[in-house]
Amino acid sequence: MKRRRLTPYALMSPGLFWLLIFFAIPMAFMLIVALEEGSIDTGFSLTWQFANFTESVGDFSTQFGRSFKFSIIATILCLLIAYPLAYAIAFKSGRWKNLMLFAVVAPFFTTYLIRTLAWQTILTDSGTIADIARFFAFIPEDGKLLDTDFSVIMGITYNFLPFMVLPIYASLEQLDERLIEAAKDLYSSARSAFVKVTLPLSAPGIIAGTLLTFIPAFGDYVNATFLGGPNQAMIGNVIQDQYLRTQNYPTAAALSFVVMAVILAIVLLYIRFAGSESLMGEDQVP
Amino acid sequence: MSRAWKWVREHAVMGVGILAVAYTLIPIIVIAVFSFNDPQGKFNFTWEGFTLEHWKNAFGIPELTEALVLSIQLAFVSMIVATALGTLLAMGLVRYQFKGRRFANLLIVIPMATPEVVLGASLLSMFVFIGVDRGFSTLWVAHIMFSISFVVVVVRSRLIGFDRSLEEAARDLGATPWTTFRTVTLPLLTPGLAAAAMLAFALSLDDFVISNFNSGTTVTFPLFIFGASQRGIPVEVNVLATILFIVTAIAMGFTVWQQRRAEKLAATRPDDEDTGLSALASGQRPVAGSSESA
Amino acid sequence: MDTGPVSGWARRLAVIATALVASVLLAACGSDLGGGGSDEEVTTAEATGEVGGDLVISQWPFYIDRKTVPEFEEEAGVKVRYIEDVNDNNEIFAKLRPDLQNGESADRSIIVVSDWMAKKMYDLGYLQNLDKEAIPTAYENLLGSLETTAIDPDRSYTMPWQSGLTGLVVNTKEAPDVTSINAIFDPKYKGKVTVLTELRDTIPMILLGEGIDPAEATTQDWLDAIDKLDGAVKSGQIRKLTGNDYTDDIARGDAVIALGWSGDAIQLQADNPDIEFVKPEDGCLLWSDNMVIPVGAPNPDAAYAFMNYVYEPENQAQIAAYNNYITPVEGVQEIFEREEPSLADSELIFPDDQFTGDCSTIDNPPEDGVDEVEDAWQQLISGG
Repeated sequence: MKRRRLTPYALMSPGLFWLLIFFAIPMAFMLIVALEEGSIDTGFSLTWQFANFTESVGDFSTQFGRSFKFSIIATILCLLIAYPLAYAIAFKSGRWKNLMLFAVVAPFFTTYLIRTLAWQTILTDSGTIADIARFFAFIPEDGKLLDTDFSVIMGITYNFLPFMVLPIYASLEQLDERLIEAAKDLYSSARSAFVKVTLPLSAPGIIAGTLLTFIPAFGDYVNATFLGGPNQAMIGNVIQDQYLRTQNYPTAAALSFVVMAVILAIVLLYIRFAGSESLMGEDQVP
Repeated sequence: MSRAWKWVREHAVMGVGILAVAYTLIPIIVIAVFSFNDPQGKFNFTWEGFTLEHWKNAFGIPELTEALVLSIQLAFVSMIVATALGTLLAMGLVRYQFKGRRFANLLIVIPMATPEVVLGASLLSMFVFIGVDRGFSTLWVAHIMFSISFVVVVVRSRLIGFDRSLEEAARDLGATPWTTFRTVTLPLLTPGLAAAAMLAFALSLDDFVISNFNSGTTVTFPLFIFGASQRGIPVEVNVLATILFIVTAIAMGFTVWQQRRAEKLAATRPDDEDTGLSALASGQRPVAGSSESA
Repeated sequence: MDTGPVSGWARRLAVIATALVASVLLAACGSDLGGGGSDEEVTTAEATGEVGGDLVISQWPFYIDRKTVPEFEEEAGVKVRYIEDVNDNNEIFAKLRPDLQNGESADRSIIVVSDWMAKKMYDLGYLQNLDKEAIPTAYENLLGSLETTAIDPDRSYTMPWQSGLTGLVVNTKEAPDVTSINAIFDPKYKGKVTVLTELRDTIPMILLGEGIDPAEATTQDWLDAIDKLDGAVKSGQIRKLTGNDYTDDIARGDAVIALGWSGDAIQLQADNPDIEFVKPEDGCLLWSDNMVIPVGAPNPDAAYAFMNYVYEPENQAQIAAYNNYITPVEGVQEIFEREEPSLADSELIFPDDQFTGDCSTIDNPPEDGVDEVEDAWQQLISGG
């Protein structure tokens, strides 16, 4: 019996220690920085400035709002694109399965920066896509696609799409197709078979996918940097700038903790709403 | 219901799938096309003519080649360790009830929610504080750190709803825990593991911010590209990106082919075609229910 | 599975972790993450006269041709690790600061940074003075006009790598007749203008456009200029704030007027002959990127050997022909007349005093208003 009690700790200790030493301890360091005041020229001292948290939120509420908007829209778009894609790969692709899987992960093998820069070339004012958008009057005659909300959301959707597809595919793939066949016989309509069987059984994949997309998307700054202008700056850009440019380490650190708290709160709410605690809290235990 | 409508409904999912695939491939096609561009100066943005010059010179920028090789090594190390540690974490979390579980959960989710610049900067402060020289080793330490959580989330979604009765059957047949793990659990987990490994690999290959802080004097592929992007990216970057893409495609195609052949010989699971993704991560896929489990 | 060794191993790890936590907490109590710098006298990186060993240089990308470094290695018997990791003054500062604060240089013996960053690092005690005896060639060949500068009047800690002008980079086909800095506010070019994220480039230029000499400008002038720009950003007049990568927007045609640097314009012309550097009639900024030696730098002798080497006109000509910025070395123009006649007349590489006469070298906000100005600027560049 004793052995069984220790097993989870044995399994988990290498990973947990890794996170503890290389994540938690440095972050404890950062938490202290978040409570300091001063400037790079005069030096910083720990004065338990809890106001850093409230002030930083007040000063940058616009960018927080933008981060919400962009990351939520992008996550929804990802889901709408990824589910049919994963479903098609898992059940409909036949001999094209490997090819389609490869297409999904292909962007992984061209670095994030290169593919984001490629989107600059694609969406440029004089490019074909912009011409088409103008022709169909999606944008005004002198309008642009690049450096707008559209291009940033599109970039986030693109860059995080594989994060959504892979977990959904992984959970769909383990579905027994006979189960779906049986459901089709039972409910007689493909739609209710899907709603009552396939969808619930792929829920872990959907939840994992939305989290893997939303969490990094909320703090992302690369897309807003390369595909957006100053009116698209997200909270990730602010933190980046506060740390690197202004050298205002306390504000940068405080903002980071606020971002972490906001994301955690959203994740918890979402999991409660999704009716599954399986990703954060209580997994079913045999 | 007309036949045409039925056809559309039948193929709607596949249609969306194909459009989505096109979406994922467009930038890659653009990158590949511009690897044949012949810019007069340094700015590879507008089409100025066709040339094979940069393909002939693919490895002609030693710093770039060096950076790419370093990044691939780094991604492999990070992928292997992060997948191993993350899978163990996911197994512990999904299968056991124990004290400190909430804390463990928190410790796993928070790194994903932490802005990169803070991850990078705080880790750097610690390395400097304890006097570690930065370089390849601090890079893989950092990469594993930020990849673990992603691995856990993916593997966990596969572990939930995992049919434990198969493992029990193996145990009943007298298999040791290790044999059970190797011949039953692992093969069933493979698609999840492969997806997780792929994510870990990609995260490492893509990372700029955290690497920038902790790289010391080493230069990774994204670091080189970021520097170059400030002053005009050489066409050779497109060439190498295209080569990387082609090599991956060939490697995946080859493993799939080998897999099919092996399966034909063994004829154990003739219809299973889910090998591309899994084969890439695991090299050789163990076949469930092979003789070893007995 | 045997739990014995596992728990033993876990215990050891736990001990290490506890020790780490304790040490970090201790450090945090006395933590001084900010500069503060040292109160001690600035040291001089003394040369011993023995040249050899390794040399690590941190430099901006594409600032040197492919041959210079290997040729130097050959001649001096020094092994060089030449890293192009300076993308941005602020970024390299953030990256190296933890080491510099400890009096270490992260292996680097030469770092190349812009004027204001050099001063900032010097004031924080992160840099050493140069050993003037050790770099006779550099001092001898340094252009007269660069012998003294606002940040370092007698060149005691900086040695220019290259200089340049901040002005307008213009696509003359799309935006003909641009002569004033105020063209960036012209509604004709709405959404086709970029300015620099660097406060110390962009705002002094706007001040010049207003007819205010940056050297005389008050904090209020700076804030007003930021305000004016903010309005233009919000209205969509300004498309983007960029770093060096404004060249991408110009090359693609998404921007037709950009605040930018002189050397880039020459390089952009290769792909698009319509692109020109316009030195605005209202004035311009003259700056340098400088080689500096950080505290704790190993092997200063090799660093000095490198400085002397790049200040040899023949060697410098090779570098200047590659990067097209203003060379700080006397005698290069004569070599160009012989070998690169097309560039020898370029005012952007070899400006005469008349050309740079109305250029300001002051780019810092008034001392007492720096924080206020930086805060306002931060809000602007992150779209607040």
